[in-house]
Amino acid sequence: MAMENQANENIEKLFGEFLSEEESLRAAENVQKGERILREHPAPAPAGELLADINSKVVKALAAKGAKTRRLIACRVAAVAAVVIILIAISAKFFGKGPAVQTPVTLEPMQRAVWESDGISSGQTELALLRDEVEQAEAKVSDLKFGRDGGYGGKEFVEIEMELTDISGDFWKG
Amino acid sequence: MAERENLNRIISGCRNGDAESFSQLIDMYAGRCYGYFYRVTGNRTVSDDLLGELFVKLVEKIGSFKGGSFESWLFKVVSNIFHDYLRAKHRQSQFLETQKSRMQSQVSEPERCDGDEIDKLQLQLNKLDADTREVIMLRYYSQASFREIAQMRSELIGTTLSKVHRGLNKLRELMEG
Repeated sequence: MAMENQANENIEKLFGEFLSEEESLRAAENVQKGERILREHPAPAPAGELLADINSKVVKALAAKGAKTRRLIACRVAAVAAVVIILIAISAKFFGKGPAVQTPVTLEPMQRAVWESDGISSGQTELALLRDEVEQAEAKVSDLKFGRDGGYGGKEFVEIEMELTDISGDFWKG
Repeated sequence: MAERENLNRIISGCRNGDAESFSQLIDMYAGRCYGYFYRVTGNRTVSDDLLGELFVKLVEKIGSFKGGSFESWLFKVVSNIFHDYLRAKHRQSQFLETQKSRMQSQVSEPERCDGDEIDKLQLQLNKLDADTREVIMLRYYSQASFREIAQMRSELIGTTLSKVHRGLNKLRELMEG
């Protein structure tokens, strides 16, 4: 059965479903007369510039749609890949057969690259600074011990020694 | 038959994102769609905008055409765009009360058409209520049957017949009067 369209529809028959035969005939004629008026007064046509503008907008929209589709496909592929990797990992953990293969632990020599790194000169500088500070501290302790810090270190050292002697004496006395 | 096959080929090209097919589709339907927009809005600038919006929207929507009458499907989209426009204007008028009268005049004031000649039909069409004007224009420009129009508008065929009949009678009286 052919699809009904305006060209082959029977308007009179359609109106006949609701009106009497005479009324439906008149209604169909009225519709045809009304539509003739519309044909006699055509609407303005779209301007050529407008159509050119619409064409360029459509081209842009098509390009944007293509890019969007490609992004969507990439996202879907990534999502599927992630799910597959997770499933493989889970199945390997829970359903893996046989004992896991033990890999022997071996000591490997330190890589040469560690010793040949570019940062060695800056490391040496820091080491030298640290060594210098330690030496200064040792000298200060030595000065304190032998009273070479302006005459007060010796006295302090003797006083500390006396206090230590008193403390040890009191300890043995109970 | 050949015309139908050609249309199917163009639609298929559009679905595949072919710009040339879209260009052909624009050539085929821009005039009728523009006529509809102009007759229901009475404004060329608005009609220009709506026509552009229609074809850009078709780029996204063409994939949802599942066969049947392409023109019925197309004019359903056309009608939806017009109703979206009306809703947007309505929202705008709620915020901008001061511009309400100006927007109403945009729809009701007839423009000059074909040079200096005043479009008499547009003048009389604007005297019909908006819904009657729209259904008459939908029938005229979509060239769809009454049954298809009733389906497009989700209303009973008796309602569509009655609106078109009364509307065209009224229009004829206005034009002859």
